[in-house]
Amino acid sequence: MARMSVSRFYAYYGENAALRDISLEIPDRQVLALIGPSGCGKTTFLRSLNRMNDFVKEFSIEGHVTLDGVDIYSSEMHPVMLRRRVGMVFQKPNPFHKSIFENVAYGLRIQGVRSRTILSDMVEKSLRAAALWDEVKERLDSSAFSLSGGQQQRLCIARALAVEPEVILLDEPASALDPISTSRIEELIQDLKTQYAIVIVTHNMQQAARISDQTAFFLSGELVEMGETSRIFTNPSDPKTEDYITGRFG
Amino acid sequence: MDRSRSSLSFARQFRNTVLGSLTFLFFGVAVAPLLLIVYVAWDSGKSVLDWSFLTTLPTGFPVGSEGGILNGIVGSLILVFLASALSVPVGVWAGMYLWQEGKSPVAHLVRLLSDLLLGVPSVVWGIVGFYVFSTSTGYGLHWGFSALAGGLTLGFIMIPIVTRVTEQALREVPLSYIEGAFALGASRWQTLRGVALPGAMAGIGTGILLGVLNVLGQTAPLVFTNYYNTGIPNSLVGSQGAVGDLAMQIFIYVHEPSKAMHVKAMAAALVLLMIVLVIDLGIRLLTWGSRKIASRV
Repeated sequence: MARMSVSRFYAYYGENAALRDISLEIPDRQVLALIGPSGCGKTTFLRSLNRMNDFVKEFSIEGHVTLDGVDIYSSEMHPVMLRRRVGMVFQKPNPFHKSIFENVAYGLRIQGVRSRTILSDMVEKSLRAAALWDEVKERLDSSAFSLSGGQQQRLCIARALAVEPEVILLDEPASALDPISTSRIEELIQDLKTQYAIVIVTHNMQQAARISDQTAFFLSGELVEMGETSRIFTNPSDPKTEDYITGRFG
Repeated sequence: MDRSRSSLSFARQFRNTVLGSLTFLFFGVAVAPLLLIVYVAWDSGKSVLDWSFLTTLPTGFPVGSEGGILNGIVGSLILVFLASALSVPVGVWAGMYLWQEGKSPVAHLVRLLSDLLLGVPSVVWGIVGFYVFSTSTGYGLHWGFSALAGGLTLGFIMIPIVTRVTEQALREVPLSYIEGAFALGASRWQTLRGVALPGAMAGIGTGILLGVLNVLGQTAPLVFTNYYNTGIPNSLVGSQGAVGDLAMQIFIYVHEPSKAMHVKAMAAALVLLMIVLVIDLGIRLLTWGSRKIASRV
């Protein structure tokens, strides 16, 4: 079943079309990997799914993106409500200048949650889900900056989970991390997909092959092909896909 | 070992030395005026500088030849407080508005006006303050030559400084933190209050400091709105509402044809510098947490 659906989607920066005629379905409880060379539009696409591009001047779109059947660019969906349902983790860990606890609690606090019990429960639940609880449970009041880069990124994932989103967008979440931290994030993504629809942008072909169920290959603002990851990597239908995944360009 | 691979060429060493020396020289030229002021003020003012100079009102004839400068210290602090009470809320809000609105036409207009205000000569502010706050004719609020009229006029001078520095400080908060808050479903206001503002506190503190220091040294706007008082008033408005002011006091003392008054002016200048130093350290201390944050980014 598709959680989000994109049809005939175009994105523009001023006059330049960054994405052209994209149509695809984002399945629930699966990992969709977006791959393609730098500048192919995969990050623009990812950021279009929670309207983070709204802050970019001169950005405009055509076409439709729906979440559970509701067009996210229509007046029926407020961007603030959309972003509570479609969470995002960025390339570089960006914890707030707050304690570990307050970082995870932030999303709930801005929704007006005041109860200490509810906050504590959600913080623990989210940190457990992000596989960080055992490492930080003794020092929830320490600054988020006392954590390592990999821990900070898992904290950012916990922070995103705390507001109970339905879809999680990950923009190269492990590209700034060492191999051990990367494998922890990858394991975590495998756990999370049992509950969430996950879309991940990655430059790392092996990573896409390891963790995703579906793979979409973008090139020059167009979706070349999308399908089961195993098929895309073993038997792509488009020669451009094959050239890219075998390392002939990009 | 090949010398050409192990040591810098003579030309580069020479350049390093010359540039290093020039840096030091210009640093020296930059701090020389400050050292000069402190030295001159200390050298000629130290003879009258004692505890009673700080804690008594001026007396004698001409007024000030006896006694201290308590009226000026208290008055300056009152004026700075009144000026800040007006300009900090207005300036910080305007800065937040500019940060939010970014490139909208209204924001550009506000920025332009703000820059124009920065260029208005302080004596013009004095005349504006006179007509708006002091005079009993025209548009006036009939507050007379008073602390409130002077303080608010000084506040006008501070507003554009606080506005522009606040906007700048907010802009320096890394975009990734702002986006992090938006991605969690924070509204613009929540992002501003919870993430951008705490990260910008050190910069905003610097802006307030610049404004306060500017205002502490102003005399021209006060000539038409407050002038001077040798005592301490019990009201901030009306014909009895004027306060003393250190900068004005120095100005008046220097105009007296009396060596003793000049010495007192120098001592008062030293006190003014000390107040500047204390306010500077105070604001730095208040924004210490934010400063530490900024250095981690």
